[in-house]
Amino acid sequence: MIKRQKTGKIITYLFALLLAIFVCFPLIVMISMSLKAPDEQFTYPPHLIPQHPTLNNYFQVFGQGSMFAKYFSNSLLVASVSTLIVLGVAIFSSYGYARMNFPGKNFLFILLLLSQLFPLAAIIVPLYRIMGNLKLIDTYLSLIISYLAFSVPVGVWLLRSFFLGVPQELEEAALIDGCTRFQAFWKIVIPLVRPGMGATAAYVFFLTWQEFMFALTFINSESKRTLPVGIFDFVGQYETNWGNLMAASILVCIPVFVIFFFIQKQLVAGLTEGAVKG
Amino acid sequence: MHNKKEWASGYLFILPSLILLIILVFYPLFMTFIYSFYDMSLVSNRYLGWEAYQKLFQNPKLYLIFKNSLTWTILVVFFQCLLGLGSALILQQTFVGNAFLRGLVILPWVMPGVIAGMAWRLIYDPHLGLLNHYLQILGIVDRPLTWLSSPNMALYAVIFTAIWKGFPFSTIMYLAGLQGVPSELYEAAEIDGANEVKQFFHITIPSMKPIITVTLLLTFIWTFNYFELVYVMTGGGPAESSHIFPTYIYDLAFKRFRFGDASRFAVVDFLFLLIFSLFYVRTTFKSEENL
Repeated sequence: MIKRQKTGKIITYLFALLLAIFVCFPLIVMISMSLKAPDEQFTYPPHLIPQHPTLNNYFQVFGQGSMFAKYFSNSLLVASVSTLIVLGVAIFSSYGYARMNFPGKNFLFILLLLSQLFPLAAIIVPLYRIMGNLKLIDTYLSLIISYLAFSVPVGVWLLRSFFLGVPQELEEAALIDGCTRFQAFWKIVIPLVRPGMGATAAYVFFLTWQEFMFALTFINSESKRTLPVGIFDFVGQYETNWGNLMAASILVCIPVFVIFFFIQKQLVAGLTEGAVKG
Repeated sequence: MHNKKEWASGYLFILPSLILLIILVFYPLFMTFIYSFYDMSLVSNRYLGWEAYQKLFQNPKLYLIFKNSLTWTILVVFFQCLLGLGSALILQQTFVGNAFLRGLVILPWVMPGVIAGMAWRLIYDPHLGLLNHYLQILGIVDRPLTWLSSPNMALYAVIFTAIWKGFPFSTIMYLAGLQGVPSELYEAAEIDGANEVKQFFHITIPSMKPIITVTLLLTFIWTFNYFELVYVMTGGGPAESSHIFPTYIYDLAFKRFRFGDASRFAVVDFLFLLIFSLFYVRTTFKSEENL
């Protein structure tokens, strides 16, 4: 019996190791390439462990003539403003869908979910025309507005599941104590879903931080580009500078990895709740 | 009276998101439907009516894109489900480093799609890539393969990347699902002498059915509409062999400026997903009622 348990343990560790390798291999390749000097980047056969590791690629990414810092601040601006707007809209709407009664509620909520059914490529032509008519092409605003198209539904859906997790009795007690409906919502419920709001904000930030297609289409001038398009542009017409590209990629990943590290538990709770409760 | 007031405040709460949804999603979608009846490009804007769709269904490209999209989606969803379940079962065991591995596993899903695409382009590269190098060491291939520039391999190479990129979402969902299986069921099965394999198929899977159903639907829709990986890794090439709906729609619209064609492909994409989802939801609900 003990022997069986021991082999079971060994098998568990073996599979855990395989899983770790599968997940990490591309990350290790990225880190490895980002630490290689130009002459080593192109040696054949390639080696996983850099022979003469250097941080030069990272310095070059921030160095003179590099647009990385500009792209980074553009992305930060677009993603933060989008997230704030989504949160402001979603707080009310998700509470409405979670707690209030009105005719057509289910229908409207299904409409919200339906909006997740088509590719963004399906609405990009009309959106492009709208932006063109409003003279918004090549502005940050065009990105912020178009990001609302996919992030508002997600934000409402996710935040709703956090509201559903708050016991209804709390609001009822507040109403009996003479609070208005709005006061109960604002003073009792909102503070309770603050962690959920954090998770929702982080998720929306993460979606807008990496958005690629709209950014590729609506922005023409180099100085207004966001990170994903800027990174894609590293693949030059001549020779791709893989060292710089991977160093930049790692720098882009770090903020999202850090955010996810902190909100993982909340987000998982919201995603699973939201998915199962519709 | 009281009711009416509650209704009004309910509408007031959801109004901002509803307005945004109408302006930014449903109005553009409606316009796409309208455009799809036109021969629309930079130089022409002619109404075709249903003729436009007759032409579309005679276009062999439609069937190629449809076949690619289905291959892409079914393989990615199937293997994400399998890997998700497998990794959730591993992570549910107790072992040293479990918490660390849980944090690690989520990273591919969190990584921006463009970056994942670039990293895998490097891995697949015939000269710089480590994949060919290792396969040669292991003696599986005798010369470097051009994974992303061979018409019969490119789509499958991107599929592999997509599985890697997306499976952690399934892992997260299934891990949460596993924690919801009542432990008394396992205890009872243990007493009845059911082995672990039997327990898995007779207790674990049935208890997790709701979460598996939802996860499959979500990953199906997301994968079907996933743009970045194919666009970044192959651009739909070589010779348009790896295009799926979103990349082809984008190509038609913004590389060839054939807005009418792009809209027709978009309409087919949307209607397919709509019908598929309705059908899926109906059949899964029906089978649950029969239980």
